[in-house]
Parts: sequence; structure tokens; C-alpha cells
Amino acid sequence: MKTFENIDAKSVKEAVALLQKFHQQKKSASVVGGGSEYLQLMKDHVVEPDYVINLKTIPGLDYIKEERGGVRIGALAKLADIEEHPVIREKLVILSDAAGVAASPQIRNAGTIAGNICQRPFCWYFRSSSFNCLRKGGQVCYTVTGDGRFHAILGGGPSYIVHPSDTAPALVALGAQIKTAGPAGEKTLPLEKFFVLPSVDYKRENILNPGEIVSEIYVPIPKPGSKGFYHKVRERLAWDHAIVAIATMVESAGGVVRDARVVMGGVAPIPWRGK
Amino acid sequence: MEEEKKGTQLSRRSFLKGLGGGAIGTAVISTGLAKSDSADAYSAESVGASGGKTPITLKVNGKTYRVGVEHRSTLAEVLRDQLELTGTKIGCDRGECGACTVIINGSNMYSCSQLAVWMQGKDILTIEGLAKGEKLDPVQEAFIEHDGPQCGFCTSGQIMSGKALLLKNPKPTEAQVRRGLSGNLCRCGNYNREVAAVVAAAAKSR
Amino acid sequence: MAQAPKEFSVVGKRITRIDAYERVTGQAHYTGDIQLPGMLYARVLRSTVPHAKIISIDVSKAEKLPGVRAIIHHGNAQIPWSSGGHTHQRFIFNNPVRYVGDPVAAVAATDRHIAEDALKLIEVKFEKLPHVLDANEALKPDAAKITPNGNLSVGKGSFSAPIEESWGDVEKGFKEADRVFEDTYITKHVNNAQLERRVSIAKWDAGKLTVYASTQGVSNARADIAKDFNLPLSRVRVVCKYMGGGFGNKNQAQDYDYMAAMLAKVAAQPVKLEFTREDDYIGMHGRWSSEQHYKIGVKKDGTITAVSLDAVTNMGAYRKQSGNLSGTDFYQIPNFRKHIKPVHTNTVVAANYRAPAYPQSVFGFASFLDQIAHEMEVNPVDMFMRNRIQKYKSRTPFTSNHLDECITEGSKRIGWSEKWHKPGALGGAKKHGIGMALGGYPFRPGLGAATIRVNPDGTAHVLVGVTDIGTGAKTTMAIIAAEALGIPLSQIQLTNGDTDVTPYSVGESGSRTTPFTGPAVIAAAEDVRRQIFNLAAAQLKVKPEELDLRDGEVFVRATPAQKLPLARVVARAGELIGRATTNPSFKDVEGKSFAAHFAEVEVDAWTGHVTITRYVAVHDSGTIINRLPAESQIKGGVTQGIGMAFSEELIIDRLTATPINPNYRDAKVPTHLESPEIEVVFIEHYDSFGPFGGKVVGEPPITPAVATIANAIFNATGKRFKELPITPDKIVRAVRV
Repeated sequence: MKTFENIDAKSVKEAVALLQKFHQQKKSASVVGGGSEYLQLMKDHVVEPDYVINLKTIPGLDYIKEERGGVRIGALAKLADIEEHPVIREKLVILSDAAGVAASPQIRNAGTIAGNICQRPFCWYFRSSSFNCLRKGGQVCYTVTGDGRFHAILGGGPSYIVHPSDTAPALVALGAQIKTAGPAGEKTLPLEKFFVLPSVDYKRENILNPGEIVSEIYVPIPKPGSKGFYHKVRERLAWDHAIVAIATMVESAGGVVRDARVVMGGVAPIPWRGK
Repeated sequence: MEEEKKGTQLSRRSFLKGLGGGAIGTAVISTGLAKSDSADAYSAESVGASGGKTPITLKVNGKTYRVGVEHRSTLAEVLRDQLELTGTKIGCDRGECGACTVIINGSNMYSCSQLAVWMQGKDILTIEGLAKGEKLDPVQEAFIEHDGPQCGFCTSGQIMSGKALLLKNPKPTEAQVRRGLSGNLCRCGNYNREVAAVVAAAAKSR
Repeated sequence: MAQAPKEFSVVGKRITRIDAYERVTGQAHYTGDIQLPGMLYARVLRSTVPHAKIISIDVSKAEKLPGVRAIIHHGNAQIPWSSGGHTHQRFIFNNPVRYVGDPVAAVAATDRHIAEDALKLIEVKFEKLPHVLDANEALKPDAAKITPNGNLSVGKGSFSAPIEESWGDVEKGFKEADRVFEDTYITKHVNNAQLERRVSIAKWDAGKLTVYASTQGVSNARADIAKDFNLPLSRVRVVCKYMGGGFGNKNQAQDYDYMAAMLAKVAAQPVKLEFTREDDYIGMHGRWSSEQHYKIGVKKDGTITAVSLDAVTNMGAYRKQSGNLSGTDFYQIPNFRKHIKPVHTNTVVAANYRAPAYPQSVFGFASFLDQIAHEMEVNPVDMFMRNRIQKYKSRTPFTSNHLDECITEGSKRIGWSEKWHKPGALGGAKKHGIGMALGGYPFRPGLGAATIRVNPDGTAHVLVGVTDIGTGAKTTMAIIAAEALGIPLSQIQLTNGDTDVTPYSVGESGSRTTPFTGPAVIAAAEDVRRQIFNLAAAQLKVKPEELDLRDGEVFVRATPAQKLPLARVVARAGELIGRATTNPSFKDVEGKSFAAHFAEVEVDAWTGHVTITRYVAVHDSGTIINRLPAESQIKGGVTQGIGMAFSEELIIDRLTATPINPNYRDAKVPTHLESPEIEVVFIEHYDSFGPFGGKVVGEPPITPAVATIANAIFNATGKRFKELPITPDKIVRAVRV
């Protein structure tokens, strides 16, 4: 890894301020949650920040609270805690299932929900220091001429990455909202609108601008009679990304389907809503 | 804990060669990789100025250590090179193999994927900290009895994951043991033995 | 060495490894754990182009980086690497570079971060040459030439090309057949992927070089280093006490050992050179890929009349090993011809990985036989039984051969007659199937040595050059010593893996440790027993021939009450040393371990996922010296076969010739959740040609595993897969059509 300075943030406000400051100074800086994914990006020289802002030192950002018809999940809530939380297991089971098939136990113990949603693609060209691909500022998406067997079959172009998150499709199927904090204050939007197609901007996966970070996920509790599942198809049954994953929530009453959401993972650059 | 739910699925692999939209245009394909042909635009000044070490305090196996570390040093490196606790191994340095697994505040994690500077104030348990003097931990004893190590390189990590599992769930089923160890690779393919050892250790501990 | 079979005291039990304690407590020191005073850290810079002349290397910026102590490259370190390539001279740094990953330079610095930073400051100018990635393309006359003599990899002896072998008359054999079949099977390059990344520590002391190597063979590594550095053997020391796996790609000394040694010389400080996991995937080697074309003639009942094999094996940029395909070894073939072209391409080198010439060609041949059985409407179990090998090359008998029992026992255990059905006959989304294949590995003796020192208190040191790569070789040698000496295992201390201290061992490869070093241990034990009996005879006032030693007591065979504790005998002499160098050979007889594997699978027609619901591995390996690690070996070999069958292959980007999955996750190495419960059965018959009747265990288990699984998938789906790996998409496409 290239040398950098780690700064332990004490609050969301401080983290945002630091990001803004470094951005203004034209220095590269990034926030880090669990760190498992970000460290590998640094080791492979995909990202080389001058400053790493550690969010783990912000107290009280890992809550999971049921409140007025929904569950509020702090950005730093760990995947393992989300998987095992009684409220999520009981009322948001597809989120528990999704969190439970992410990567491996060690990653789930360290990884955060915000990190899982904001993770960079696992495209082998993107992650390799041997390829200066389109997404990294180069000329070419190498899956076009090369091996794109695990890449986008929907919504791709000019970059063909797939979004690697398990929790994201489940959260979109649940109609989750995401709250961000930035220099202009807080913003809440449907999680579905958080992700960015490469046809819009092939250098990013989400709408976060410099200085902005994720602070919370809010998941409304599905209406009674709702059912859903999260199913992940992959080659290896542990520590592997989806070849295709399906998250569904179906709300029905009296034998009539009132609302259904089908969201696919592993097939598109964003969690893909079936229409 | 059930592994997978069944339901309708899509066949993902009929990869559409046309690649949805054909928005490739006339992107010129470069014939070489930048690094090989030209001097890397890498500033010599920003490198090697790594001489500055930050003093940190680490609590490992109940002992307190004070060390000077670079920010870019991982916990695995510091444990091995500076604290000379070489029982924790590095197999891939990418958080994919589990050889570096240690227990941090009661949960198993990849020590190659944590910076040492993030570890202040945490309780770190490594393989060296399992035995109480001459008395081995039940998981270690079971690994001996059930032929847990072949080449032995993944063994520390497998044991730490097994230990972490039993700390949270003292009576796991075999499937739960497999799942608990699933973040640890074993290229010698000794999986049957490692699982049997943790199952046996659980049975003995109660 | 032939001893009459008898009741063993130590051999044949379930004994935990003698170093298990060290391994489970983190006290086992692997090469990378060693720290020497003043030690520097080194990293390797590799070519990013597949074929190019190096025009210039500019290290000036890198040299100025504070902490950098030495930089070597082709320009200032032309060290030959004799075992790295056998058809044209290979150096540790080559010009031209011949594959993406070919080493270009190495840097030693005061810490590994600085070494890595320095790599980025080295400027290399390449002049690109045409390159070729595909083996068949490489054979065309207008292909880019990788070696001075072209791309067919011609060397001497086992490195010749093409590899040709024949007996009988295949044309006559095909005429005698009722039907003749032809087909092609394709396998891919699979990396050994051992958990311990390559690492080497070198230091010079007054002209003597010590290398702490992560090697499978300290003796061979020493020989390599001495040869290529032009040093007498007495001035080279190689040490390896614990080793984190190699499966064939850490045998002998390798280029990174040499680089560490050169850097240590230049810097005048010890150097630890470490590979990243990516270095390990592309900088060393994996199993050669193959395209196998078989022509097989059979009679109505499936009996083989003739086999012809034409194949191409892709050896990558350098020829390190044979490129052979030997999967037909387990069948009785009266007329046989094989013609294999090992070929050079500008890709990652291919060489030895556990049973190097077998799993890929057992997959090809056993799948094809299974296919032919289907078309001839013969039950596979009958097909394999009928055609199993009985005499080597149709004429030489084996030391022992119980392959028939393996087949019978395995088919009984898997429930073959109850479970077998016509391929693809069962409907439903979850398809059940069973399959089988035959395997094994050569068992031959060779050069070995051992020293045994008996202490005045009756305990003993056994000194052998073995490196225990996970097979339990140290324990096996200790058990053999205990049995041969007649003292309890607990009284034995085993020292291994240090050429300054331990005598020659061929190294842990080719399943050779037991047949090569085992007899030497037995002979050394016999040597010291003679000395013990000579001493005791005087004390007990009998003739030496009348004495025996068991459980640490010397006694008169006819009147066992007349005895002495061993300590009392030895104390008089101080220390007794037994030694032996042995080099037995087989005459007019051939040795092989045999195996028959059976698998039951469930194929999900929707997702293409295959679950192995049962796996039975039946092995004929003679006496099993130690059951506990032997069973683990079998399970391990099968697990590696699972990875090769379902998911593993090295993928190279065609545009840039660069490997794109040089890591565990993308190379899809099997995890805990891919590994079924593997049932191991040993068919044990004493083989008088092996130490205590034992044959070989390490490599046989991987050989039939891939084919076994592939044949089970065929039975489940009715679809034949002729190209590895059998990934979910291939299954789904075939089943849905």
C-alpha cells in the first residue's frame, strides 16, 4: 500500500468536515468502515488515498432500532449483527438472509452495512493493478474484449461491472431509504435511487459526492401478510459473489397480491428491479 | 441455520454477447499496459517518507504491548514481525483465505484486513493465547486428536475460527461448525478433520 | 527389505502426528516466521508483457529510495536456473521475457513496504515481440517462436518431445474391435494454490550460503543451488523444518531462492524474499492443461482392444516438467500408442501438481470409457472391472495389485447395484446420479539415507532429510524407525530438513518419501541393532544372533526372561550410531498403488449446482503405516479433485495475455462448504517390496477424483462434459437444451 495517514473520526460531522477539507486541498481522502474491502483496494493500488478517515471510532453509529413502523440501522452496524438481530430476523428476514450470505464469517464480523452498500466492484480487471480500465480512468472496459463471464447482462455499458452487494438488493426489495450526511447537510432518498448506472457515470457506483457519507439505512417493516426471500446462486457456497441473486417481497391480502418487488443482484451494475 | 432457500431462479450464465445496448462506440483499445512502456508517474517524494512510526498500544493475549507502527501496517504484519507472534499466518493478504484469523473482542476476523492503528483498545486473541500454560484449549487438543493439521499452515486460523464459534455457540451442529469455519481455506483439503475436531471440542467442553 | 508380515507394534495404528502440538499452538516455525538479525525484505518485479526484449532497465530512482539496499536484474545478475527449464537455458531473469509474470528484477530493502514502493520506481523499456497463447496455435509453422528451436518443447530424456510410447499394434487392435470410438477431452491449468506463499531467506557466512527455503526437498534444493552458483555442496546449507504445502511446486530450489541469495550477497545482509499470492499464482507453476484426443477400440462386452492417444499439453513459457499424460495406466490395453506434444506458449509455466500426469488424463480417459460403456450398454462397474490393469504395459507383473477388490468394495459401499440407473433417466429438477473411476500412482524405490543415534538412556534420534509438507512424513519415518528398532515411539526424536544435519532424502514429491527413505530408516535401524546386539551379547553371555529388541528391552529370543533395558546396553558404549544409504530397485516387476473412487451427486438443473452427497474412496496402498494421516491424505486429494472438477482454472485475458484470476476467490478454490464427508477404505495387503509392506499414499487420491465426479454428473444428467471445469453454466446449458 502507498503511505497514507489514518485519522480516527469522532463524529459524522468531523468525518464530513475532513473529507471536505481534503477535497478542497486537492488531496485524496476516503472514509473506511469495516475496512476489509477497502484495504484490499489499497493493496492492489486501485485507490491510493493520502488520508484514510476511520469511521469505526464514531460512537453510536452501529445501532439497530425498531421505531414507528420501521427499523433504523446505523451505517456502521455489522453484517453479523444485522444477520442475527431478533427484530431483523423476525420482521425483515430477507435482510437477515442477505447479510448472512455475504462473503465469510470473518468479513461479516468486521463489515458494515454502509460498507456493503458502497463497496466497489469485484470485477477482476477493476481490482487488478495490471489493468487501467475505464472505471479507473483508462480508455477501455476490458470485459468487452476479454472475459466478462461474471459481468453485467442487464444495464451494462460502457462499463459492465455488477454491483457485488447482497444487502443492497434485499434492501431495495424492502423499499429501504438511505440517509447521507454531507457539507450541505443530511439527505434521505430511496435506496433504489442511490445507485448509478455506468451509462450515466461509469466512474462511480453511487450518488455520493466528495464530502458525503452514508449515515443510516431505514427499512419500513413490511405489511402483515408479506412474504419474501433472498436467494443467492454462486459457484462456491462460501465467500463468493452472486452469479445471480434474487430478493423478493410480495405483499398480499385476502389472496390478492397488492405489491411485489423483485430485485436481482449480480446481473447489473445496480440492484436491478424487475419491472 | 439453513443454508439456502429454494425458489424460482434465473439462469444467469447465458451471457448475452451483444452486451445490452452496444454502447461501446469506437473505443480505441490500447495495445499495451501503461506501466511497461513509460515511466510511472509515481512521485518519489510521497514514498519512503514512511520512516515516521506512530506509537500505539495493543492488548494481545492479555498482555499490553507498545509498538511503533506505520499506518499502512496491518495487524497481521505487526503481530508477526514486531510482536513476534508468528502463529498467525498470512496466506493471501487479501482477506480471502483465513490463515490470518484472530479473535478481536470475541469475534473472528482477518487480521490482514485490519490496520494495526485501528486496534487500540481492542482485546486481541491469537493462537498463542489459547493455551493456559501447559494446558491446551479443547479445540487445540481436538485438532491433535482428529488430525486437524496436514501442512499446518491454515491450522491457526481454523482453530481461531472454531474457538470464536464455540465462544458464541457452545453447542453447534455440524452444519453450524462448517459454516463457522467457512471463511478458512484449507488447500490440503483437510476439511472433514477440522470440522470433526471442533464438533468434538464442543462435546468435550460441556 | 522383504520382511515376513507379522503383527506390528507401531505400524498400522492411528497415531497423531509427532509435531501436531507445535502446529496447533503456533509454535511451528515456517520459513516466513524466521527472523534473522539485519534481515532485509525483498520483492520481485515481473513482466507486464507476454513476449518482449528488455531494451533497458533503469533502477536509478528505486536505488535512491531510502531503505533500498540492493537491486538485481538481468543486467547484473545472470544466474542460470537449471531446473527451471529443460529445453533452453532459463535464468532467474530472462531476456527476452516470455510470459506476463516473468521476473525482471528483485529489490531488497529494510522493510517490505519500501521494497514494494521501490518496485514501482523501476523503469523497464520493452520491445514487444509477437506472442502466442494457445497451444494449438503455437504449433503452427508461422507462430511466434518462444524458444530458439520453436514451440514444440524438445529436451532430453523425460523432457523430450513428442512424448511417444507404444506396444502391440494399434491398427491391428482397431481392426479386431467391434466398435471404434474417437473423441476429445480438454482440461485447464490449475494452480497448486498451497496456503503458504513462497518465501526464501538467504544468508552468507564466510563464503557459505544458507537458505531457509520453503521447499519440498532440502537435498535437491541444495544440489540445485550448488550447481547454479558454482559452489561445493559442503558450502551450501538448505533448511526447511515446516512447510505450508506445495503439492509439487516447491520441489527443489526455485528462482526466488536464487534471487534471495544474490540479493543477500550484494547487500551483505540476510534477505527474506516474499511472494504475494498473485506472485505465487503466476510466478511459479500449476498443472499443465491438455487437449486429449482418444481413439478407443472395444469388443461387444466393452473389453478394450486398442487405444491411441494424440495430445497437446501446454507447458507455458518454460519446460520445467514432463507434460506427460498417464491416465491410461490403470487399464489393460493390449495395443497402445500415445503421442503427446508438450508445447510452449507465452503463458504461466506448467509443471508438477500432485500426480502431475494423472488427474487430467484420468478425466479424459475414464470419462470416455464411461461414455463408451453407455453407448455399448455396459454397466460402468463392469466396464471398469473388465478393463482394469492387470499387467504393466501388458507384460510386467505388479508387486501387488488389488484393484479388483477396490472396485468390488467401493461399489458395494456406494450401493451401486441399487442406485445405478440409466444416465439422465431420472426426471425432476434435482437429478441424482452415481459414477466411478480408477486411479493410483507409481510406487518405485530409489535412493534414500538415514542416521539413527541411540542415546545412553535408550532414547534415539532419527535424522532424515525429509520435509513434511503435510503428509505426516516425519511421523511415518518415526514410526518406521520405532518399528524397525524395537523401541517405543515416545522414545524417538526425529530431526528433519537440514542438509547440514540430516542425510539425503529425495524430498516429498512423487509419493517417494516412504519407498525411498523408509527402507533407509529400516536399514539404519538394523545397523544399530547389530551394534546393540554385539554389546548385549557380551553382557548376557549369548551369541548376538540369539537376541531381539522390542519395547526398549534387549532379550534372548528363546528365553525372554533373560533381558536388559536398552539403556543399560548402550550406556557402556556412550552413543551408538546406525547409518544406511539404500538404493533398491525393482527388477522384472512394477509397483503401483491403486484406487477406485465412487461418488453420488445431486445436480440442480435450474442452477447447475452439483452437491456431492456421498463419496467413497477405496485404496490399495499395501500396509498403511499410519492410518490417521493416510486417511487425511485421501480426503485431501479428493477435495483438490473437487476443485479441479467444478471450478478451478487459470484465466488469461486474451488481449493482454495477463492472468485475471490469480487469487483464491476468483480461482475458486474449494471451501469447507464444497467438501462432502469423504469415506476412506483401505484394502490392505502386505506388499513385500515396500517398507513394512507399504506402498504409496500421497498422490493416488487425486487421480480418479475428477473423473469420478464427471461420470456421476453424466449419470445424473445424461450429458457428457468433455471440458473442465464443469461450471454451473455448462451444466445448465446442456440440461436445458
